[in-house]
Amino acid sequence: MFPRVTAILVVHHGGDRLSRTLDAIRAQDRTPDALVVVLTQADADARAQVAAVGASHVVETGESLSFGDAVRAGERVLDAPASDADALWLLAEDSAPDATSLRALLATLETARSVAVAGPKLVEWDEPGRIAALGRTMTRLGRSMPIVADELDQGQHDGSSDVLGLEPAGILVRHTAWQALDGFDPALPTVDDALDLGVRARLAGHRVVVVPEARVRFAAAGVAGPPGDGRGRSRRRRARAARAAALHRRLAYAPAWTVPLHWLSLLPLAVFRSVRLLLTKQPGVIPGEFAAALTTMFSGLRVSRSRRVLRSARTTGWSAVAPLRMQPDEVRRRRQAATEERKLRARGRTDELQFLGTGGGWVLLGAAVASVALFSWLIGSTGVGGGGLLPLSGFAELWRNAAYGWRDVGTGFVGAADPFVGVLAVLGSLTFWSPSFVLVLAWLLALPAAAMGAWFAASRLTERGSIRALAAIVWAVAPPFLTALAEARPGAVVAHVLLGWLAFAVFGAATSWAAAATGSLLFAAVIAAAPSLAPALIVAWMVALAVSGRAAVRLAGLPIPALVLALPLIVEQVGRGTPMALLADPGVPVGGPTPTVWQLALGLPSGGWGGWDELVRDLVQLDPRIVASVLVLPLVFAALAAVLAPGIRRALLALGTVVLGFATAVAATHVSVAIVGPDVVPVWAGAGLSLAWLGLTLAAVVSISAVRRGFALISGAVALVSIVAVVPAAVVIAIDDVPLAPAAERSLPAYVVARADSDPRVTTLRMQPESDGGMRATLEHGSGLTLDDQSTLDQTSTELSAKDEELATVAGNLASRSGLDPEAAVREFGVAFVLLAPARGDDREALQAEARAKTALDGNPALVAVGRTDFGTLWRFASAVPDEPAARIPANAGGWLGALITTVQVIVILAALLLSIPTGAGREPDRRMPRRGRGTRGDGGRGPSPAVGESTTEPDEVSETGSGPGPEPEPEPATEPESTTESEPVPEQEPEPEPEPDTALEPASKGDDDGR
Amino acid sequence: MAADRRALIRGGLRALGFVGASALAVGLLAAAAAVTWPDYRAEPPSVVVQPAESRQQRVCPGPLLTLGADAAAATTVTSVGPADLVTAAEPADAVLEQVPLEAPGNAGGAADGTPIAIAAEPGGVDAGMLAGAQSQAVASETLRGFAATACAEAVAESWLVAGATNLGRSGLILLANPSPVAATVDVRVFGEAGAVEAPSALGIIVPAGTQRVLSLAGLAPNLVSPVVHVTSTGGAIAASLEHSVVIGLAPAGIELTGVTAAPATSQVIPGVPVPQSGGVEATEDHADGDDHPAVRLFAPGGDAAEVSIGVVAESGVGGGTIETTLPPGQVLDVPLGTLDAGTYTIRIESDAPVVAAARTTVGGAQGQTDAAAPSDLAWTVATAPLLDSAVVAVPPGPSPTLHLVNSGGSAAEVTVTGAGGERVVSVPAAGAASVAIDGDRVVLAGTQGLHASVSFIGADELASMAVQPPGPLDSPLQVYPR
Repeated sequence: MFPRVTAILVVHHGGDRLSRTLDAIRAQDRTPDALVVVLTQADADARAQVAAVGASHVVETGESLSFGDAVRAGERVLDAPASDADALWLLAEDSAPDATSLRALLATLETARSVAVAGPKLVEWDEPGRIAALGRTMTRLGRSMPIVADELDQGQHDGSSDVLGLEPAGILVRHTAWQALDGFDPALPTVDDALDLGVRARLAGHRVVVVPEARVRFAAAGVAGPPGDGRGRSRRRRARAARAAALHRRLAYAPAWTVPLHWLSLLPLAVFRSVRLLLTKQPGVIPGEFAAALTTMFSGLRVSRSRRVLRSARTTGWSAVAPLRMQPDEVRRRRQAATEERKLRARGRTDELQFLGTGGGWVLLGAAVASVALFSWLIGSTGVGGGGLLPLSGFAELWRNAAYGWRDVGTGFVGAADPFVGVLAVLGSLTFWSPSFVLVLAWLLALPAAAMGAWFAASRLTERGSIRALAAIVWAVAPPFLTALAEARPGAVVAHVLLGWLAFAVFGAATSWAAAATGSLLFAAVIAAAPSLAPALIVAWMVALAVSGRAAVRLAGLPIPALVLALPLIVEQVGRGTPMALLADPGVPVGGPTPTVWQLALGLPSGGWGGWDELVRDLVQLDPRIVASVLVLPLVFAALAAVLAPGIRRALLALGTVVLGFATAVAATHVSVAIVGPDVVPVWAGAGLSLAWLGLTLAAVVSISAVRRGFALISGAVALVSIVAVVPAAVVIAIDDVPLAPAAERSLPAYVVARADSDPRVTTLRMQPESDGGMRATLEHGSGLTLDDQSTLDQTSTELSAKDEELATVAGNLASRSGLDPEAAVREFGVAFVLLAPARGDDREALQAEARAKTALDGNPALVAVGRTDFGTLWRFASAVPDEPAARIPANAGGWLGALITTVQVIVILAALLLSIPTGAGREPDRRMPRRGRGTRGDGGRGPSPAVGESTTEPDEVSETGSGPGPEPEPEPATEPESTTESEPVPEQEPEPEPEPDTALEPASKGDDDGR
Repeated sequence: MAADRRALIRGGLRALGFVGASALAVGLLAAAAAVTWPDYRAEPPSVVVQPAESRQQRVCPGPLLTLGADAAAATTVTSVGPADLVTAAEPADAVLEQVPLEAPGNAGGAADGTPIAIAAEPGGVDAGMLAGAQSQAVASETLRGFAATACAEAVAESWLVAGATNLGRSGLILLANPSPVAATVDVRVFGEAGAVEAPSALGIIVPAGTQRVLSLAGLAPNLVSPVVHVTSTGGAIAASLEHSVVIGLAPAGIELTGVTAAPATSQVIPGVPVPQSGGVEATEDHADGDDHPAVRLFAPGGDAAEVSIGVVAESGVGGGTIETTLPPGQVLDVPLGTLDAGTYTIRIESDAPVVAAARTTVGGAQGQTDAAAPSDLAWTVATAPLLDSAVVAVPPGPSPTLHLVNSGGSAAEVTVTGAGGERVVSVPAAGAASVAIDGDRVVLAGTQGLHASVSFIGADELASMAVQPPGPLDSPLQVYPR
């Protein structure tokens, strides 16, 4: 009997593809007997085109149906199959069969009764010589794999026959089988629907074959199967659909007793796979991964429906499927091929930093020597103190202090930790056997580390070694940096060192997820170390987002780790009405004279004139202010000259950074939030100046790299003057005439420290007479304060808690002739020792307060005088016993909230960390814009490092180190991350000044060279 | 040509851009400097702690003592009769307790009494509203004269500016420890030649509730102008110094001096009684003896001090200013010049902290013969400014007079309530006033910042007694718990 073939065509949009598809159907040499067109949300065009062909049935639905549902809707209008030979031909608007396709397919069905489903060879719509798909199979573990994907059709697969599954477009399926199998599984709307159909057909005893002679051009427009374009959004959707389909199939195919186990494994698997996705730099897929797991887990009855359908039609065992699965050796072979391909891509893409070739090694060596010369007296000491430095706690306590929970400072309270403590914990873990030692290392390595950061940041802007060296030198000898080192301000030092690296990472973020994640971690660390930079950096980030085009995807997450770390603190500070206190510098508040605007403009954050006042007064009759100013001018002029360089945007961004940093510094001098006794310490202006200096450095790099002759001389001159400018400051450091000092390992008398060995919670009430005649009374536990105990939440609180007031009452009465029971100090706070620190200076009020307290404490029968110590006069409570209950840290102080906050923070930081591990070489799509040959045009020929390896033949692989994104943190919006087809070159706005004589030395430039 | 012009224009634009950027930078700097940006300043939290009420206490030094009255025990001290003790408190009906201290060094303690600690119940009186004073007139072969002393708080550091140990003069340092813990006391003596080495005076233990007596001559013999610095750790000490004079064979006066005000660049000695006109010019190099009004000065800082001494009569007439330089580390006695009889206020301004007290005598004439020897002497010490109210105990003595000195810039109205009722005394700005006292208790109100003393002037008796504010130990204290 003559088989009846009904073509079911699913149409979304009209247009060229549809008309070609309709033409192709009409042009078949064996035309279908009937044509059912299913219009799903079709436009008027499509309707008109469909009406013109005169289909047997037109089914129209207003809702958006999946291909399977649409076919089902079309099939519903058909009569029951008259015979076993009747078949359905499933087509989509974008699948145009060759004229002989149907004949070939039908012939297969007719010759082999066992074949229930026959599929064509799908070829690319625009490039019919390439195979888009030829069957689909799955691995032993059920992973769906194409048998052939994206291969040039040279007839190499024309012998294929039996397969496990197919792509949905163009398949011919026996109508009876279709009904028996209940069509496509509605739980698999886009991906693996035809694979699943094939599997079920196979289990029902049928065969599924491909017919390579039947060719169907297929455009993957998203009607049948997922849309195949390369946009990030489609890719993420595809990945999610594929994962959801895989999970659904797993639950549908698994033996019944393992289904609950599989169900339970879905979420843990999603977590593991997310880790892997981070490592392979595909963070965008992670939400889909979880969404797929969750929708599959809570998909209601879909799994049971699929299982029922499968069971009802099944006639053979799974062994019928096994031979058609992809064999393990084939899986392995494909994996190896992918790795090879990745390696190949990565090789052409390594950043040509030319570290040694452009003198980076010499810069590092020089910085190391300078650091040793400055801090020679620090070498060999086990700790460092003075200024804002205190020892660090032991390893475990250090990490405990980094988490939300008990803040062991003063009377103690439960609250958020400063994010800076997290930075300290990371640092302290480097020398976990003695965390305090890391501070010595930090001070010794700060200079080289900062120099390298600036060197690498500059390497994104220029290839000339001398200019990179200039950036490193100017940045390493920046006055705010040396001041922070001299005044022992750990936060400011960390911020300065990391700012250069942050710039480097953010430049790279335009093209790489790993760099973006590194940048986000550095961003968090910089803001943790210098919260006053947060407003400026957030403004810079928003500007960067605005101007970076497609790269904004990777920049968008930049502040996430910083936000997650700081959020508990933000909530608490805002909650108690002191949002300005968020700007407080972490660590010990260190006061000092307030600098004038002039001093700030010279980069001097601590008043004074960089040591020139003392030096100049003795030597020559010159105003030290003039000397200090003149020595900064070369750098400033070099930076301002950046507006002359081609590429005004970079210059503006760099100079904008200067303005932001300077504004931060000026504002910092007007904000005083940290409270030390009767004094309020202003925010350290040096952090803002560091940011300004970064802008100056980068602007100078931009302007000098635009100079074609004599740039080495200019760099040398600017660097030399910058070094001369800080000579007095450096000398002061080198002779250790600064607050920084080799460690006092302790801040309490040895007697107390000895007691702390056996009683770690021994509590000392420290009384410090103040210049207004008042008394600062604080509690210290164990062997004294540590840097990680410090909490800005405590320092900036303008309200006293009940415990604080009680402590004040106890201390005030101890310092007076009083009827109050002195044992209250032991009872309420576990105080074992009272330390009366000597009054600072010759302040009469303070001396009187000291004398008063001394008399009162001396005359107190509850106290036993221990004697005079280096830290003041010490008394001991006769009744105090070791491990006073009142001195203990309450158990589980943070509670569930602390655990929750810590968990979230750890997850976010770990995720950023995983993403930042540079495993993405070759995995990430190459998002770099091909060299425009502009920003570095002069470099190739004259720079110390001729661009070796840049004149590779593949334009896609041209490495770009020089004309990278703009200055920190605003990368140029130049890159098109995901798609090369849609890339739109960003035109330079500056006119090219003069014709370049040496363009011949340039690497091959792709066609977007501004047309000039 | 066109290319040249374009290059020119381009160059010009670039220069303009550079100038513009520089101008912008300068403008930004100027804006940052010129604009007064608002300040954000957190307010440091603090608690003013009012010490819980405790027992207020004053220590009276006890009867006058003499050294070596018993030839068999020349180094022991013996009391010469009992002293008259009066106490005063506001409110008047406050319950006061008198606790006698041990005086193991005094052989006559059993008969003549011992030092007394006066104490009020906790909360019984406000700070400073408890006073005690003692007076005693003696006339023996070796001692003659009248001494009046206010009972004092025990403190950790005291300066005694009085005494002499040259021929005929003797001095005793009385250290009373009323507190419940033993005190370790360091006594340092400075003289006209500088600090006196006296290791035996360091680390003296004064047991709780006990008075110890040291001979000043034993520590620092043959000093004309001693200044004694007493510091204690452990218990607090109420220190006083007994200064007696014998000229030839005749006793020529006695005084029991309390603690003078702590070192400061500005000192006020109120109510220095000068019963007879006369004196020695300040420029006199050899102003020997002690029968002329003089002021004793010492700068503990160890540096030379430029000192200006203003001597103003209470009536406002007479007096003058003496400029002098204190040699570093040395004590200087400065004669106050020829003064008319009356009461004087001495104001001392110095460029370094100094301690000061003034000495005056009564009776006798010029000259150094036995017959012409003065019959009594008095040390008037510098006082600290009073609080708003004070209570003064006035012991028996000849014509007690309260002197009030106002060193402030505006006149003060002081309410003086004595046995005779309430009087309002006006003390002019930068001036002084005096009030004759009847009765043994005077309550002062409106005395904020004023200095006060009580003088006793008889024909051959002279004494002066400071009215000191309470020590800082009871005053409120500002505590910063951060």
